[in-house]
Amino acid sequence: MNRREMLGICRNGFGSIAFMGMMGGVPFGQNLATAKESLGNTFDGGKLPHFVPKAKNVIFLYMDGGISQVDSFDPKPRLDKEHGQNPYDKFKVDATQFNSIGKILKSPWQFKQHGESGMWMSELFPHIATCVDDIAIIRSMVSDFPEHTNANYFLHTGFGVQGRPSMGAWVTYGLGSENENLPGYVVLNGGLTPPGGLDNFTNGFLPATYQASILKAAEIPLANILPIEKKDGVQDAKLRLMKQMDQSLLGKLGQADQIESTIANYELAYRMQASIPELSDLAGESKATKKLYGFESEDEHCRSYGAQCLMARRLVERGVRFIELTIPRTKHDRWDQHANLKEGHESNAHAVDQPIAGLIKDLKSRGLLEDTLIVFAGEFGRTPFAQGDNGRDHNPSAFSIWLAGAGIKGGIVYGSTDEYGYRVEENKTTIYDLHATMLHLMGMDHERLTFRFGGRDIRLTDVHGHVIQNILT
Amino acid sequence: MKLSNFNKNWIIAIPVLFIGIIISSLSGNSEKEHDLPDKVDFNYDIRPILSQNCFVCHGPDSSTRKANLRLDNFEGATAHLEHGGAAIVPGNISKSLLVDRISSEDPEFHMPPPEAKKTLSAREVALMKRWIDQGAKWKPHWAFIKPELPDLPDDIQEASVSEVIDHLIDRELIIKQLEPAPSAKKNALIRRVSYLLTGLPPDPVDVMAFIADTSADNYEKMVDQYLSSPQYGERWARHWMDLVRYGEYKGHEFDFAISGAWQYRDYLIRAFNQDVHYDLLVKEHLAGDMLTEPRYNPEEGFNESIIGTAYFFLGEGKHSPVNVKVEEYERIDNMIDVTSKLFQALTVGCARCHDHKFDPIPTTDYYAMYGMIESSRIGPLPARKTQKQVAQIEELKKIQKEIKIQLGAQFTDAVNEATPQFISQLQQFVKNADDIHSSENDSANYRVIGDFRQGDWKGWYTTGWAFGETPLRGTPVFDKQSRRVSGLVGGIASSRYFKSGVMGVLRSPNFIIEHDSIAIRARGINGTIRIIADNFQIIRYPLYGNLEKKLNSELWETYTSDLSLIKGHKAYLEFMPGIYGELDPEIEVKNSTRHIYSIKPQDYIEVQYAVAFDGEFPDLPFPVLDDQYDFSVKAKTQSISDWKNNQANTEQILLLNHWLKETNGITYPKALSELLTTYDGIAAQLYDSTHFLGLSEGDAVFSPVFIRGSIDKLSENKVPRQFLTAVKTGLDSFPQYGSGRLAWAESVVDTENPLTARVMVNRIWHHLFGKGIVETVDNFGLQGKLPSHPELLDYLAYRFIEEGWSIKQMIKHILLSQTFQRSTTTVAENQKIDPGNILLQHFPVRRLEAEAIRDGILSVTQNLDLTMYGESIPIHLTEFMTGRGMPSESGPLDGGSRRSIYIAVRRNFLSPMLLAFDMPIPFSTFGKRNTTNVPAQSLSLMNDPFVHQQAMYWAENLLRQKDVTISERINEIYIRAFSRQPSVEDLRGAETLLENLAKEYSQPLEEMKNDPQFWADYCHTIFNMKEFIHLL
Repeated sequence: MNRREMLGICRNGFGSIAFMGMMGGVPFGQNLATAKESLGNTFDGGKLPHFVPKAKNVIFLYMDGGISQVDSFDPKPRLDKEHGQNPYDKFKVDATQFNSIGKILKSPWQFKQHGESGMWMSELFPHIATCVDDIAIIRSMVSDFPEHTNANYFLHTGFGVQGRPSMGAWVTYGLGSENENLPGYVVLNGGLTPPGGLDNFTNGFLPATYQASILKAAEIPLANILPIEKKDGVQDAKLRLMKQMDQSLLGKLGQADQIESTIANYELAYRMQASIPELSDLAGESKATKKLYGFESEDEHCRSYGAQCLMARRLVERGVRFIELTIPRTKHDRWDQHANLKEGHESNAHAVDQPIAGLIKDLKSRGLLEDTLIVFAGEFGRTPFAQGDNGRDHNPSAFSIWLAGAGIKGGIVYGSTDEYGYRVEENKTTIYDLHATMLHLMGMDHERLTFRFGGRDIRLTDVHGHVIQNILT
Repeated sequence: MKLSNFNKNWIIAIPVLFIGIIISSLSGNSEKEHDLPDKVDFNYDIRPILSQNCFVCHGPDSSTRKANLRLDNFEGATAHLEHGGAAIVPGNISKSLLVDRISSEDPEFHMPPPEAKKTLSAREVALMKRWIDQGAKWKPHWAFIKPELPDLPDDIQEASVSEVIDHLIDRELIIKQLEPAPSAKKNALIRRVSYLLTGLPPDPVDVMAFIADTSADNYEKMVDQYLSSPQYGERWARHWMDLVRYGEYKGHEFDFAISGAWQYRDYLIRAFNQDVHYDLLVKEHLAGDMLTEPRYNPEEGFNESIIGTAYFFLGEGKHSPVNVKVEEYERIDNMIDVTSKLFQALTVGCARCHDHKFDPIPTTDYYAMYGMIESSRIGPLPARKTQKQVAQIEELKKIQKEIKIQLGAQFTDAVNEATPQFISQLQQFVKNADDIHSSENDSANYRVIGDFRQGDWKGWYTTGWAFGETPLRGTPVFDKQSRRVSGLVGGIASSRYFKSGVMGVLRSPNFIIEHDSIAIRARGINGTIRIIADNFQIIRYPLYGNLEKKLNSELWETYTSDLSLIKGHKAYLEFMPGIYGELDPEIEVKNSTRHIYSIKPQDYIEVQYAVAFDGEFPDLPFPVLDDQYDFSVKAKTQSISDWKNNQANTEQILLLNHWLKETNGITYPKALSELLTTYDGIAAQLYDSTHFLGLSEGDAVFSPVFIRGSIDKLSENKVPRQFLTAVKTGLDSFPQYGSGRLAWAESVVDTENPLTARVMVNRIWHHLFGKGIVETVDNFGLQGKLPSHPELLDYLAYRFIEEGWSIKQMIKHILLSQTFQRSTTTVAENQKIDPGNILLQHFPVRRLEAEAIRDGILSVTQNLDLTMYGESIPIHLTEFMTGRGMPSESGPLDGGSRRSIYIAVRRNFLSPMLLAFDMPIPFSTFGKRNTTNVPAQSLSLMNDPFVHQQAMYWAENLLRQKDVTISERINEIYIRAFSRQPSVEDLRGAETLLENLAKEYSQPLEEMKNDPQFWADYCHTIFNMKEFIHLL
């Protein structure tokens, strides 16, 4: 079916036949051809995917603010021994965001080994600890930026500045969406838009088709998704008239791709009015499932993040390519504990731990984990020494993230840091490497996924990036 | 031009057509399948192949060049290769090694190599061969060759510009045997012109008048009407704002305000409305503060030119960069990127880390620009610097002098004798002062950064009038009650030189921070001291809070700042009356005034000195301002005379002050009282807090090259001031002093510059046709697209300069062409020949821009408030907009019914509706907006409360007219929304809707007819019809 035929079908009326254009289930490459044509762009990648993908979907669990590696996934006994000593006597101390450099600070949490793999994890994450054999921890991440906004842009877009396409936009640009009723890239907003704002989720210079749709895990998940008309039939009557007039206009013009596409777009919008609210209708989910995600927790943030995780699974089931979750607004500002590390990290960890473990288990039991890549990451780590006496400052020189699911070797640890967890020692891994790996798992060569902007063929990975082969199955 | 001229063009074009036929018949057999041109043109046929496939390794950038072979110029491509032979031997295909390499099937030998993932097509290889065969002629890139008048047939020589446009367009249509579409209907034309010139639909009265007007020049009159509409400036200013990444907030973590940014928006609107000629507009942007004859606003008489430079500072910025040097680098990089795309459509930003891969732009071009920007300083400047104020200042200076003359007479009446003790003390004072100033370069543990007690600026810079021409040199202190002068103030820098509340900044020369702390002896009410390290502006905690001091004490105090975080960095000091934000940080957060500059009538700052030091505050050999001095007759007489001429130094002022104290002051005559009253009356009028952040001159900085873009690896040599080396201008030399911005501006607008006029006429064409003659409007470099009608582009550029760079005139030429007036209708046959309508057989159907859609809705509902200018309307917040730096209060749903250009541009909180319809995120130059198609667009027109609200307003407006039939109402709706009358089908559609809704609402039909809900539903449907958001 060619595009013109598809457009012909959609003229048959609202809600009648699923329109496959725009964001819909166009075979790989076809929507690219449209983008290429309309923008005069040269797409160097040829047909996509470039090779057989392992992951159909990505769930990106964004740990806004910078989670502390030495308190979570990277145990450092030396901090216990040297607790309270002067870091300047131990190593070269870099400039930090707050320039309030205190003493070496041991972790307030105990680390234990878990699972068959014996992976170390702190008691911050008792539920995730039960999934260690499914996850690969990278302890050797580095970022280029010690400031939130730049680091957020960098993590999301591969550049430390505003306005570049987010990784989710790149993925949908490359692969399109599998679901004709839903956008291909969805952010489930837990309540905290990260520093840098919505530009973390932007299409940048890519066509707006690839921007994130930002949904809330709430009754009304998306702006303008519900008709304002008081009676059901009113909107239908209006849209019928609109359609009739639009067809008449098309007839008069003889040609007008632009108008045809706009008409088609209304089809999708109309169907989204039903499909988006359906997403957040959790009535059909069993009590056991809900419990798994933490719906019975006394912690309201755990319950709300649980709802986000459950919605993420529902989005995966509906073929949405790229799903990002932002964290809820707890009493403590994101993971950004410049002070009160213990209380802050505990309340954040408590909110996300059970829902994330629930998500992994639920996906696994439904056979979806093998097609779904889960990434758990913040924008940078934190210092092994205190800021003031009970916080930690930003540290872009070493931090830990983990991946699980499609194509990921479970139960392994990749890379290492020095004895303080301050700098990477082995297998330094960049954000570019992470992006290259994510694209690779989705079946795309990060060097060939390009878009011409400002006179250059631009990539998510700029001129960098290597696939992290060691963590792949 | 009349329709009959089309036939004329046919006749003209016949020879061209013949040539076309001859070309195809001459083509060689083997190459026939590739449809090769007879004469291969380097720019149009060959360079794109080389640029796309070869230049990454064999282009201008020497750092990545392979095999020492470059193909971007003749010398390189024909040079002897290391292993013998030459890549290209002109006229000899078989000896040209390049041909072997690109035709080889051996992957080891084939070029481009496999890792490049590029391959030349058979046609491209054939083109290369033919070009080599024809002598392999290089030409400079087309955009670097100065535009010239194309050869036009004799009968066109005298034609109007519009007719030449049609000739050059039709010529190509004839070659392709495309028949141009007929003229559009009058109602479509007026809607098209109105939207494209003003961003609003035409008023029904104007539509009817235009249709009724059968005079020969009715179309031209209509065009003139919209060109002179005040809304024209709003529309075209918004186009320009896309280019300069206009924002009013700096984004990043807390989205701090850019103080007075909207003044620049208003400046643009006025400039476009007044048709400020483009060359002047360019100069004002780059160096508006440096023009010897600035442009004054014709109505209010203020200096418009200085506001132009505000665009530099409208980009992003963050508040606590760990390294301020890196932050400066990012900010200047953005300014270079924007400026080079804006005026020259070149991506100079690509030359930051290495020579440009494709264009002849070396890193030195980039760092020459860098030095020019780095030498400039940003700060609050008066947005209403009027000619009247200039005269007032002159008047005040005259009165100040007169006061001194009158008082001086009083002084000389009371001569006293001097004691030897005083003379020796005075000598000690002078010696001490000398010690201080000779110690500046000492290795002592302190360094004097500034000292105004000698009565001169010592290289410091002032902007505005606040600080006068010199530090105070004995300004008398009047006790107006007793009519006595009680003392003289001297040896301080004072922003009360004329009066408190006058805007202005005093800045030091650049210095390198070598000490731990800095102390500034100062006093003031709402005065500000700032330490600007590496041009870093958003000074706040956690890191840099102590680099700014907000003064609120009339007593002299020493303000000390810790400099350890910025040690080794380049810095300057600045003092200004007024403050950024609030004195009380608590209020600041609540009021969202963070980083907004303000000045009140009583605000001032006064400074004696600034000293950088290590450790404890040093024991400075500074003179003590007490009264143990006596003085000689001679010293006093000289002092009085110097003082009257505003030449007195600090010692002399001390002397006079001492005497005033001894004598308990002097009484001044009544005449002086009156003079003082006159003075105060004038000075009180100087107060004005209207400001923007603009550029002024600082120390000349010559930047090194940052090798591979690293701030830690700098070239040894500094880059001299220069313009882009590849762009030839008529200017002989570039001055090597100051910032060089004025020379930069002059290079851009020099008539020899091959780019400037082309770039601008192309932008104008783009806005009128939705596509530029060069489609990549911001990139005329080798990676940009080639012009679809090169001769037309050159012709328009030539005319643009010749006619004095008038934007309105150029728009009018284009609008009067037949090409512009064509209908949008076409047939499928034409689309096969020219699928992209590149040749403009018909006018392209265009979706309206975000602002035009929103403003159009407000306009048709008659709810649009056409108030121009002023502070932006706060953004309306929905529950879906969250994040840091969120405004404390939401703006109105309908944006106060104002045009979209007046809605605040908060980087972190942009309008969702405008974004959905492709308003660009302001991070770089966006000469060409996307026209995308996303569900958020349909959803907003279907379900956004604003759209529903407007539909209801419209309904209520309609029902205000009583005794009107249904079809008359529908008629009005159609005229407003579509500038046409409804067809029978349209009326029938409305009727059907009425019937359907009557059923839905269970209302009798007759009642429904007068129910606002029905009309709101109907109007809402109108907004959702494709005709509403498209130009036909």
